Amino acid sequence: MLTLALGLALGAAFGALLQLSGASSHTKIVNALRLKDLTIMKLILMAIGVGLMGVHLLDLFGFANMKVKDLYLLGLILAGLIFGVGFALTGYCPGTALAACAEGKPDAWVTVLGGLCGALAFAFLFPEVEESLMTIGRYGPVTIPDAAGIHGMWIAAPLGTVCVWLAMRLPEPGGAQ
Amino acid sequence: MKKNIPNRPDMSHEDASPVLRWWAGGIGIGLVLIVAVALVQPIGVSAQYVVLDGVLLHAVLPDIASTSPYLAKTAQGWTLATYEFFFVLGIPLGALVAAMATSRFTIRVVPTEWKKRFGSNPGRRLVWSFAGGFLLLFGARFGGGCTSGHMISGISQLAISSFVFSAALFISGIITARLLYRDGASRC
Repeated sequence: MLTLALGLALGAAFGALLQLSGASSHTKIVNALRLKDLTIMKLILMAIGVGLMGVHLLDLFGFANMKVKDLYLLGLILAGLIFGVGFALTGYCPGTALAACAEGKPDAWVTVLGGLCGALAFAFLFPEVEESLMTIGRYGPVTIPDAAGIHGMWIAAPLGTVCVWLAMRLPEPGGAQ
Repeated sequence: MKKNIPNRPDMSHEDASPVLRWWAGGIGIGLVLIVAVALVQPIGVSAQYVVLDGVLLHAVLPDIASTSPYLAKTAQGWTLATYEFFFVLGIPLGALVAAMATSRFTIRVVPTEWKKRFGSNPGRRLVWSFAGGFLLLFGARFGGGCTSGHMISGISQLAISSFVFSAALFISGIITARLLYRDGASRC
């Protein structure tokens, strides 16, 4: 019960942040992908910069509950390419679509509906995909520090700094479009 | 102080400048991730689409739902009462409260940029939204995560898979957006 409440609270904070920072706005996402308004890139870089340092700081003291996803090169590239087309077409990602739904955007409702169908289609195709496309370049849940044989903080601290620096350097749109 | 573009009545809030500046939003999202990693696990959204699919399908056609090992494994126990699902359930709730509190709840079918390029036909927008949503979640499940799980959580953990997926996603998204919204071809 407590974990459910915690999930709801963290999710609500995440949803509110997405809404308030414009990440659920179709205009902001599409113009980010058109490289016309990099606000969303700055936002993501800042989140990753803070995340990199915070998560690895936790890890340093043994408090991080990590969950690293499997590496399967060919499948991941294809998956990313498919995702990108959907991202540009809808102007939402799976999380921001849910936020946009709650702001009264019927195209986001339909995006979620399409998403439920796409997820279901993948679920039924999974056995075949796993045995074919997901076997090529398969390495399991590896991280860069694993591969390099060093503690993650050695990479997270400089990379996090670069992310924050880049977030500050990228241009902001000058007021009105 | 942030410069606020005044909300014109013909203007959806999605065209106005956001309430939170990018750095505040970014720090906030980073902190949500850190708290989640400290207390439970990294954040993720897209698997819960499968969970909802599984639970719904299992309620209607349990035999068919059970034939998919992926569905059975992701929607473990065919229940929605999990931390992960409640996290995802929280997203629209938080967004609704935030939108209401800042009077940014506006109903519109066709977004501004889409309207400039493809006209105001709602059917057209909805059909492509459905197709796009299908690709979005198909790609996310194929890749094992979405913008939250792979990009924010995955890169923060320095997962190699997340760098690969995110790079492919942005390259494809940027090319698709360029092709869709070709400059100079807009018919206003």
